[in-house]
Amino acid sequence: MLNIKNLHASVGGEEILKGINLEIKAGEIHAIMGPNGSGKSTLSQVLAGSETFEVTEGEVTFNGENLLDLETEERAREGVFLAFQYPVEIPGVSNLQFLRTAVNSMRGHRGEPEMNAAEFMKHAREVSMQVDLDPAFLKRGVNEGFSGGEKKRNEILQALLLQPKLAILDETDSGLDIDALHVVSDGVNALRAKDRAILMVTHYQRLLNHIVPDYVHVLADGKIVKSGGRELAYELEERGYGWLNVKDKEATAS
Amino acid sequence: MKSAPTLSSVFLEPAGNYLPGPLLELRKQKGMALVDMPLPTRKTENWKYSSRHLKLSDELAVALPSPGKEGTSLSMAGYRVVFRNGVMVPEASDFPDLTGIRIQRFCDLDDQDVAVLAERLDNTLDSQTVQMARLNSARFEDGLFIQLDKEAVLDQPLFIIHEVTASSVGSAYPRIYVDAARHSQMTLVEEYISSGSEPVMVNTVTEFVLAEGARITGVRLTLEGESVQHIGATGVRQATASRFESHCVGFGGPLRRHDLQVRLEGEGAECKLNGVVVTQGKQHYDNHTSIEHIAAHCDSEETYRNIAAGQSHAIFNGRIHIHQDAQKSNANMNNKNLLLSTGAEIDTKPELEIYADDVKCAHGATIGQLNKTSLFYLVSRGVGRREANTLLTIAFINELVEQIPVEAVREAMQLRLNDFFNQTFQEA
Ligand SMILES: Nc1ncnc2c1ncn2[C@@H]1O[C@H](COP(=O)(O)OP(=O)(O)OP(=O)(O)O)[C@@H](O)[C@H]1O
Ligand SMILES: [Mg+2]
Repeated sequence: MLNIKNLHASVGGEEILKGINLEIKAGEIHAIMGPNGSGKSTLSQVLAGSETFEVTEGEVTFNGENLLDLETEERAREGVFLAFQYPVEIPGVSNLQFLRTAVNSMRGHRGEPEMNAAEFMKHAREVSMQVDLDPAFLKRGVNEGFSGGEKKRNEILQALLLQPKLAILDETDSGLDIDALHVVSDGVNALRAKDRAILMVTHYQRLLNHIVPDYVHVLADGKIVKSGGRELAYELEERGYGWLNVKDKEATAS
Repeated sequence: MKSAPTLSSVFLEPAGNYLPGPLLELRKQKGMALVDMPLPTRKTENWKYSSRHLKLSDELAVALPSPGKEGTSLSMAGYRVVFRNGVMVPEASDFPDLTGIRIQRFCDLDDQDVAVLAERLDNTLDSQTVQMARLNSARFEDGLFIQLDKEAVLDQPLFIIHEVTASSVGSAYPRIYVDAARHSQMTLVEEYISSGSEPVMVNTVTEFVLAEGARITGVRLTLEGESVQHIGATGVRQATASRFESHCVGFGGPLRRHDLQVRLEGEGAECKLNGVVVTQGKQHYDNHTSIEHIAAHCDSEETYRNIAAGQSHAIFNGRIHIHQDAQKSNANMNNKNLLLSTGAEIDTKPELEIYADDVKCAHGATIGQLNKTSLFYLVSRGVGRREANTLLTIAFINELVEQIPVEAVREAMQLRLNDFFNQTFQEA
């Protein structure tokens, strides 16, 4: 489904991604771990189409298509979804209006009829209950004044509404209390399907107890320095990143 | 040295087919005072950005004929009065006789009322700073007098639809006077629209005089087409504990100018002035507001937002004058601006004159662009770029549009703004 070859990306002349290689097949769940500042969010954002970063080398194909040639919105319509590490607050745009516009853009792309306001409201309410977010949040500005955990649940809400083929979750587990972690991982597990893939960025192996990955990768200084199975996460939890001989820009988030 | 151009005498030729004697007389006097009036130029401080858009050819002096095809107004529920080319159209108007509330054409007033009105008209605006509004006093053909008796409450908004038919060159000078007695209340929606494409000028003056405890909401929508020069002035005088709320929404044009002047003359009076302006292409919009804190313990709250696209130009000039006796004044002025293209221009200028020592006065102005991170967030969900731009742009003014207290107006403006920006971003 996703095939990343020798991907290099930089910002302001500084190289952040220094040759990433990664293949993700439909149905798989991959976890990416790694020290702060190693480039995990950069990779996620580059895949989603952020213009902050410049891709200087390498290629990415998504279901056979050259992903890097697509505009951000086209990537989304083809099924790429990024749950942001720091979801953006947009006062003045109601969450509901935003979500309906997004869902209808996707439907339009697939040749499906638009959902009217009432239909959508009903659907959105159901899904917001599923992620334990009071439907009252739908009426607020996008992420406006949401707590950290509410923002993360709003990201999962969007994933459930948009039903992506590839969901990239950038630290969606950070800042969640134990109950919220359950809610979020249930949401992610609900997305799990044979024709879908999930790429999760996380610092904690506790998430991986709930969402069991097929592969775990360690990203350090812009490169994947080690890949393994589920057990790699335990090892990292116990030993940190030092044994991998990577330079640890900052300490791993506590 | 070349002398500044003066107002052509053809603008002062008598007409006035719909006015009673004393008002004709008043008009004549006002007209005489304008002989040789210098027109604003680049050097005229309060017109420096707009004078080059002011085009007063002699042809424009012609009063437009009042009958004409009816344009498309927002057509909303409420009472309505239609003015076409500055003259009221009774057939198109619809408002009831209510006790304690009079809505009358100047020509339908009895002699005594006319005499009173002639005394009171033209006492709300500072003629030094609204030089072009003086033209209205010299040229108005017709007008509406609204009188609310003590404690009278108009139960629905009154819409005044000012339509100009730009099917031939000329000008129109509608005039409104609102006299709100103690503790009376009303909402007035003034909608300025046009049909046709010949160059015309609309020059409007609306005056509100609020007695103690009166509460008036004025909504002003400037929606005329591309051939219309619009020069408007609104003057407000407020007595003790009265409240005036203004919601202006303006779409740009070849020349758009609105002067809003509020005088807080009685203790505890308060005003809230909201304004939204959007311009695109080569459009222009110039808002000048002035709030005079004359009595103590008055509050003013002013929020204006401009959005300029293309090569358009928006101007906000906000003056707050706190007089020496106006202790415990509370004045808040905020102006935020959004530039949608590098060719657009926005000029913002606060003018504060504070002569009292115990006051709270806050002001702030910013000029910015659409936030790239917000845009990325929206498009990363599959929202089209144009739609995302539109959503974000409208978000910038939504806070103000949402405060418009008449639902039908609010919804109509939201739709219209949506279309406006969709078009803006399509062309971009
Ligand atoms: N817009 C930017 N401008 C300059 N530097 C940037 C920018 N975005 C990211 N960087 C830098 O790129 C490096 C990688 O950042 P990135 O956010 O990808 O790290 P991360 O692995 O997600 O870290 P964390 O675990 O803390 O979330 C960091 O050194 C960061 O400072
Ligand atoms: Mg990160």
